[in-house]
Amino acid sequence: MMQSLLARTVISYLLVFVVPLLLPVVFIKLVGLGGLRELVTYEAGDTPLHRLDPRLKVLYPVAMGVLSILLSWTLMLAVFALSILPWLWLRPSRQRIRVLMVMVIGPALAGFWSQGMYYLPPPPVHFLYQFPWTISWLGSPGITSYGMIFGLEQSARVLVTVSTSMLILVTTDVGDFTWAFERFRAPPQVGFALTAALRFLPEVISRTTLVLRAVELRGYDLSRPRWFQAGAWPDYIRRVAHCAVLITVPLLVGALRGTATMAMVADARGFGVSRTRGSLRVHKRTATDVWGYVILAALVIGALVLNHLHIGARQY
Amino acid sequence: MSRHASGPPHQRDGETAGGELRAEDVSFAYLGAPRAALRHVDLGVAPGEVVLLTGASGCGKSTLALALCGLIPSRVHGELRGRVTFAGEALSGLPPHKTSQLVGMVFQNPNQQLISQTVESEVAFGPENLALPQPEIAGRVDWCLDVTGMGGLRRAAVVTLSGGQKQRTAIAATLAMRPRVLVLDEPLSDLDPVGAQEVLGTLRRLAQDERAGVVIIEHRVDEVAPWADRVVLMDGGRVVLDQPPRAAWSDGAPWLAAGAGVPDMVRLAHDVPGAFPAGPALSVDEAVEATRGTWFAAALAAAAADRVRARPDRTGAAPAGRLAPPLLSWEHVSVTFDGNRAVDDVTLSVGEGEWVALIGANGSGKSTLTGLAVGLGKPGAGTVAFRGRPVRPGRVFEHAAEVALLLQAADEMLFAETVRGELEFGLRFRAPPASPVLDLAGAVEFFGFDGLEHHSPWELSQGGRQRLALAALLVGAPGVLVLDEPTTGQDADHMRAFLRLLTRIRSYTGLTVITVTHDIRGLASRAARVVLLGEGRVRMDGPASQVFAHPRELARWGVLAPPLARLQTGLLGAAAGDVLLTVEDVAAAALAHRPAARNGVPA
Repeated sequence: MMQSLLARTVISYLLVFVVPLLLPVVFIKLVGLGGLRELVTYEAGDTPLHRLDPRLKVLYPVAMGVLSILLSWTLMLAVFALSILPWLWLRPSRQRIRVLMVMVIGPALAGFWSQGMYYLPPPPVHFLYQFPWTISWLGSPGITSYGMIFGLEQSARVLVTVSTSMLILVTTDVGDFTWAFERFRAPPQVGFALTAALRFLPEVISRTTLVLRAVELRGYDLSRPRWFQAGAWPDYIRRVAHCAVLITVPLLVGALRGTATMAMVADARGFGVSRTRGSLRVHKRTATDVWGYVILAALVIGALVLNHLHIGARQY
Repeated sequence: MSRHASGPPHQRDGETAGGELRAEDVSFAYLGAPRAALRHVDLGVAPGEVVLLTGASGCGKSTLALALCGLIPSRVHGELRGRVTFAGEALSGLPPHKTSQLVGMVFQNPNQQLISQTVESEVAFGPENLALPQPEIAGRVDWCLDVTGMGGLRRAAVVTLSGGQKQRTAIAATLAMRPRVLVLDEPLSDLDPVGAQEVLGTLRRLAQDERAGVVIIEHRVDEVAPWADRVVLMDGGRVVLDQPPRAAWSDGAPWLAAGAGVPDMVRLAHDVPGAFPAGPALSVDEAVEATRGTWFAAALAAAAADRVRARPDRTGAAPAGRLAPPLLSWEHVSVTFDGNRAVDDVTLSVGEGEWVALIGANGSGKSTLTGLAVGLGKPGAGTVAFRGRPVRPGRVFEHAAEVALLLQAADEMLFAETVRGELEFGLRFRAPPASPVLDLAGAVEFFGFDGLEHHSPWELSQGGRQRLALAALLVGAPGVLVLDEPTTGQDADHMRAFLRLLTRIRSYTGLTVITVTHDIRGLASRAARVVLLGEGRVRMDGPASQVFAHPRELARWGVLAPPLARLQTGLLGAAAGDVLLTVEDVAAAALAHRPAARNGVPA
């Protein structure tokens, strides 16, 4: 029975579509548009992570990214664990943990699933599940364990950079970023662009949420069907797509007004009048900072050496 | 120039210290505009002076502010004639960062002008751009935070601040550039009355202690007038009046012509001749002092006693809104955000045809509570019901047909290309109601959109867009109309027009209306019933005349009673009974009990 063409077709379609259908639902249920703010909102605090030298914080995701590129899958797991450790130190709020988990596990699952279907090892290929010809239009012959492991590996590499970057965004005031960039001799515009983006992204998300509310208040149906109401989902997707067009005008008008004011404020506060900037902050390098630099340098140099010696190096 | 690490920004040597800001015959037309926004404006602001600049929407106040700050013509383009000078030096040719060290501008919306993530970073942003030494920056930051009362929140994230705190942060950030004059464009628009008094107190201190010139552009003249040294009225791009406050309202004609507000105490002085022998009072405290023990106070006391005698015995009467089955009800409703109770065990019901004003300080839970009525948000406990049926959280589309909610930002509620399209918008997505409050043609006529049906909503004035959003909600069959801060930032004429419109809607449709408002003097005073929320709970609930008779209780929850109510309770205490809430009513009561005149002077 399970080997019949019909059963195999049904199972194949389920395997193919369950993840892309599940991920948006999980995102909407657990994160939502408003929850995205948690990803980039600075959490004021006085933890050792907050007090670290901003230059070290800027270098941290870069260094971890380098490690994730250079090292083999086995060592990558260690790097991934290393990137998670500081979060335990920080103890973020439950809401932020929930958002982070979804944003980390979601892409990992997507990578794991898509590579499992589309990344084919050299022959002979061992399929975990081979799709029948009725689903061949999707271009995947079936799911392979090799592809899944490869997907997991690629996702973990990306997630190391994502996780470390988010940690830094959550614990570093933008003013510190700007200061660090200036010490690296980057143009002040780089720091300002980052400042404006991080400051106003939550505002944009809030405004979008408000306008979406307004659409509903005006009688536009944005209510989601239940997951089992399969026939209602295409109409829901069509309504959401149409809504995106509807809300563009008020969002654009609001954004343009806000941008004009912000530009005038930046001018009035003298942004860009001097080649160098002063700083309110005085960052004295502490023993923790020095240890941080030493560890980062040791990790990167170690990875380079290992890579050169073909030990634990990434296989292409 | 000497710099003091922790000193105030206005202790300067040099040629600009003590200088006057002057607009000399300034005219300005925006690029492509058919009419000039400013016409031959002459205005001076001396050190230590607080100037209230007011006028109807579109009269040129904000344009003048941009010109005074040198942002016209450097950042806002158009044709400028005349000149703006500070201590004799023309500002027009200076780059913005130079002018901002002479004249600082605080824009209307603090959200759009706070660039950094924390309070101290925001304040430090300007001095850092000027590449000042660290001790100087730290000194300026300390001083600015101290003078604006934000020192305790220096490390707070900007997104966590209240409206008043954001406004004070914006002021502190502007002060950090060490301007000699501060220009503030509607700094009170999003603040509750208590928050507004805090900001005004800060500005007065700056003027008195630091000799800073302060220009406050504001519609809320009642609140600003007592703090101002001069009042400037604009109309059609011109300055039509520039006088000390007491003289400014001696003649009501220019105010009427300009459609601008007049403080209640001044109107009362005009309507009750002889009530204020020393001339009109500007503040309630001043009015109470001036009339204590006079015939006016005695007349008010007699009128209050008459009202108490005439009042029907209410023993055993059910509170308002509970006689009939409620149209909308909240039963033991609680809502928690991030561990904080925004709404705390609220039980409230609104009856058919009632007009209820929901008042309270910023963050008291007003908008959260009304949002629940339309399915926005989910109560942690309790139930919300419309006509006895529970309101299902998240089903906004369904409930919006029954409970029409007009957001404060009405512009965000417009989505169509034409006025007609906007009115038809709701009908495109749901079945036409059997008995609409207004049909399409009726809405066009009722709201005055004749001939404008094919115009873009964005061609309408701000008031017009708000009317359109309201009309679009009524082209359906809602049972309740909820208005969230509908009069914020509106001038006196627009506010009066909106109140008239609301009264017409109610008499024409019999709709139940709930207004969420900080406009205690205008909107809340006109409602039949007032509900005071404080820290998420219902603290008072009753007729407006009774609720506003308790200024201390209101103040406890961050609400300032209307000036007329404070005058009556200030003079009569508990004997004031149910207070009168319009100038006309107070004047009529006083005149009706005025003692017989002897030689033209009341006994």
